[in-house]
Amino acid sequence: MQTLLIALMLPALAIPVVYGVGKKSAKAAALILALLSIVSLCLIVTLIPTVLNEGQYIESYYWIPSLGSAFTLFVDGISLSLAIVTLILVAACTVYSINYMEDKKSLPEYYALMSLLTIGLVGVFITSNLLLFYFCWELMLVPTYFIIGGWGYKDSFRAAFKFFIFTHAGAIFVLLGIGAIYMLTGTLDIFEAQAILVTVDPGILQWVLISFTAGFAVKMAIVPLHMWLPDAHGEAPAPMSALLSGVIIGAGGYAILRIALGTVYSAMAPTSNEFLLVLSFFGVLSAFYGSFLALAETDIKRIIAYSSISHMGYILFAFSLFPVAEGITGGVLHLVNHAASKGLLFLTAGAVMHQTGVRNIKDMGGLASKMPLTAIASAIAAFSIGGIPPFACFISEFHIFVGAVTAAGVDSSYYLPTVLMLVATVFSLAYVLRYFWKVFLEAPKTPRNDIKDPHIFITVSMIALAAFVVILGIYPGIFIDLIHAFTSIG
Amino acid sequence: MNIIDVLFPTIVFTVCSLATVPLLRFVRKTKIDPQRFMVAWMVLVFSLAAVGVFRIATEYFGQSQSFIRISSADTILAPLSSTFLVDTVSVYMVIAYMIVGSIASLYGVLHVSAKENLSERYYALLLMVTGAVIATTFSGDFLTLFIFWEATASGACFLVAYRKSKESLESAMKYLVMVIIASGFILYGLSLIYGITGSLNFWVVKEHLVTTSNPQLLLVAFAFLVAGYSIETAIVPFHMWMPDAYTAAPDSASAFLSSIVDQGSYYVLLRVLLFILTPTAVVDWRFTVAIFSALTMTVGNLFALAQTNVKRMISYVCIADIGYNLIAITSLTSIGLQGNLFFFFVAAMETGLAFMTIGVFRRMGFETLEDMSGLGRKMPLTSLAFVCAALSFSGVPLFAGFIAKYMVFTSVLQSSVAWLALVGVSNSVLQSAYFLRVIHHLFAKAPKDDIPIIEPKKLLVPIYLLVILIVVLGLFPSLALDLLSGAATFLPT
Repeated sequence: MQTLLIALMLPALAIPVVYGVGKKSAKAAALILALLSIVSLCLIVTLIPTVLNEGQYIESYYWIPSLGSAFTLFVDGISLSLAIVTLILVAACTVYSINYMEDKKSLPEYYALMSLLTIGLVGVFITSNLLLFYFCWELMLVPTYFIIGGWGYKDSFRAAFKFFIFTHAGAIFVLLGIGAIYMLTGTLDIFEAQAILVTVDPGILQWVLISFTAGFAVKMAIVPLHMWLPDAHGEAPAPMSALLSGVIIGAGGYAILRIALGTVYSAMAPTSNEFLLVLSFFGVLSAFYGSFLALAETDIKRIIAYSSISHMGYILFAFSLFPVAEGITGGVLHLVNHAASKGLLFLTAGAVMHQTGVRNIKDMGGLASKMPLTAIASAIAAFSIGGIPPFACFISEFHIFVGAVTAAGVDSSYYLPTVLMLVATVFSLAYVLRYFWKVFLEAPKTPRNDIKDPHIFITVSMIALAAFVVILGIYPGIFIDLIHAFTSIG
Repeated sequence: MNIIDVLFPTIVFTVCSLATVPLLRFVRKTKIDPQRFMVAWMVLVFSLAAVGVFRIATEYFGQSQSFIRISSADTILAPLSSTFLVDTVSVYMVIAYMIVGSIASLYGVLHVSAKENLSERYYALLLMVTGAVIATTFSGDFLTLFIFWEATASGACFLVAYRKSKESLESAMKYLVMVIIASGFILYGLSLIYGITGSLNFWVVKEHLVTTSNPQLLLVAFAFLVAGYSIETAIVPFHMWMPDAYTAAPDSASAFLSSIVDQGSYYVLLRVLLFILTPTAVVDWRFTVAIFSALTMTVGNLFALAQTNVKRMISYVCIADIGYNLIAITSLTSIGLQGNLFFFFVAAMETGLAFMTIGVFRRMGFETLEDMSGLGRKMPLTSLAFVCAALSFSGVPLFAGFIAKYMVFTSVLQSSVAWLALVGVSNSVLQSAYFLRVIHHLFAKAPKDDIPIIEPKKLLVPIYLLVILIVVLGLFPSLALDLLSGAATFLPT
């Protein structure tokens, strides 16, 4: 059964359909795309029992044998979790776009680009071939460039330009790493490669590791490689911001875990953990930097953008606990929870901007009574991001800290970053509360009566995503089981 | 296989090229539309030649040897004693020339009005140059290589000078002077080689190089040879003629030159460096070539960055491409050689596509970056084709340029000049930056006026043929790479 191939190719087949239908009715095009991503989602969900029982599921097709590459699609616990949350987010963002984008031009192109983007977003998680991975990695980049540029806010092409150059430069280093793996092992499958890399001189592997980590860290927007992120997230249209912040930068985190740490670092069998400590340092740095700037910022979307930098810091910190199982579980779960919560937060922020026409939080206030549904969805997202129990991100942060304490028990140099990270969570809470207070609760300076909840499709997609976030918070079991299926093997 | 079989495509092109002039003059006098006639004529000529190429390819792949030597020593051509060589590399290159050349010639026919006086010479030159470059590729000795390659280069000079404007005559002059200097170098090298070895045959020279106890003089001869071909390949610092020539040539000629003649010149250099000078124990040229490679791509890209005339920018990209190719030559690995050959094909399509789309823009009167502002909305199809070319140049997956760059950069990672990969990727980022600037102008800037533009639908046909080829090869590079599996037999082990 070609489950994964079909799931991956559905969005590709959708491109001409969506474009053609979009010429007649943009709404129909969006619904088709949303429907197809839900079909893909269902296909992928059917693999859950296989993965829980056997740990992984692989399909392989003929592709480029002369470059050591087959078209290998595979899922294990973590890639399955991330693929699921990605497809949910894609469906929500597409439905959201129906109302959000309705007054914009060239919508058929927009939805066609969204379909193309979906292939990249899903594909990057479900392949074990590095060349195919790189294909999907860059497929996350090119459509995003055009979506940010063509449908974003003021000066959007400039922000998109910055995004393209930064992440493409990062990707080129990833490509060098991939090339090095091919030259060292003669294969591009990460599992086969890892088995051979064990025999390679660690002195060479350390350069491969650095090349990969630096390349992925750009996408993950780790300080000091984050400069592209606030502009890109700030100027993108809301659905694109949600996907950027939820999935694209998260893919950077996933790649660090899967390729940099899981394939290269584990093959080096290092004697000291200096590299991981450096990672944890950058994690802490990003967490603080993001939180502080989010506290100082007044632009509604840039606050959330900075918060993303901060949360990527958490995730990098979690992965720096490698190979402590609790830390990795926490990190991957945080990728899932952060994707859903931050996606929702961007969607609600977009709804606020759409209805009020302003983007400075000083000009907002008192919106809770005017836009109650948006306020509820926003509250769920914000509290989750702030790490308030019982919302989603609390669970994953808790796992991360359990992992950190375990790691610190083994190596006392982890104590300092762990303590600093705990301090950072306080700041996270602070900017989230400030955000929610300023936008929804504080008495407005100039009361306006023309504001109401957004149209049906925006509201429906927000509520659906909010429900997903709540479920993630009170019933995280299924994802934890899936991730455990990975960590117990690795 | 005999000598006629190998030369069949060249003979077809030459004879038909000579027939083109009287035929078109005759057709102009009748009621037949000359453009339609020329399209049909080109299709006919190329399919006839394709039959010949197909026969060579099936015969070559149908037997087990890694190469076939055909010598004229026992035929009527004996006094000339030419040798021809059919191996994976030459067969592959000729297939690539046939594909790209037919598309570029089709564009040429559609772009240069067939009613125009003298246009018959232009078409005749296109065919003549294609024939010459194919014979160059099959050459098996230095003299045959020299003769056919100079025929190609002089044909290219005429194409550059076709417009007869002051600018084009001047740059054609510059080109011609460089070609003559280069052939002086080459001939001097050849005479030395002949004096020492008594033959100009590739195998004899190579064997002599390995067995001789005192190769010094032979190496001097090769230094002249490589210097000469470096000038014709436009390696920095011998590149000055190229941007002028490609900018001054008619748009369709630039597309044709960059996709046929340019790739042909790399091929010649590759043949000399990789297939004859490969016993690197005799002389290790790798480091020297690596320096020139770094220099060529950096200078090419930096100058391209500084251009505001888009056509000139693409000319500099052609120079940068040479730098990337030299990376792969330096690596001396199988993946490098395959990557190099794949890169030839891809670069031929990319540069051809870029010049063709720019030809459409220029026909509408848009030359500089500023002129191109907002054209993304006014000429969506042409702009989309340009975006594909730009992304392929920048090494973005889905497009064939990515696979080519990946193979080229990867090949050098394990050699003594691994730093070249770093220079290469930095250049690649630079390249994506200036291409993104063009895309930025096309889509982000507001158009100057609201006058709608009707895109020339006919010209878009060859353009989109190339776009489809680039995407198909980007997704399924095996289509081309499988042909190359035997290419590495010449490399030292």
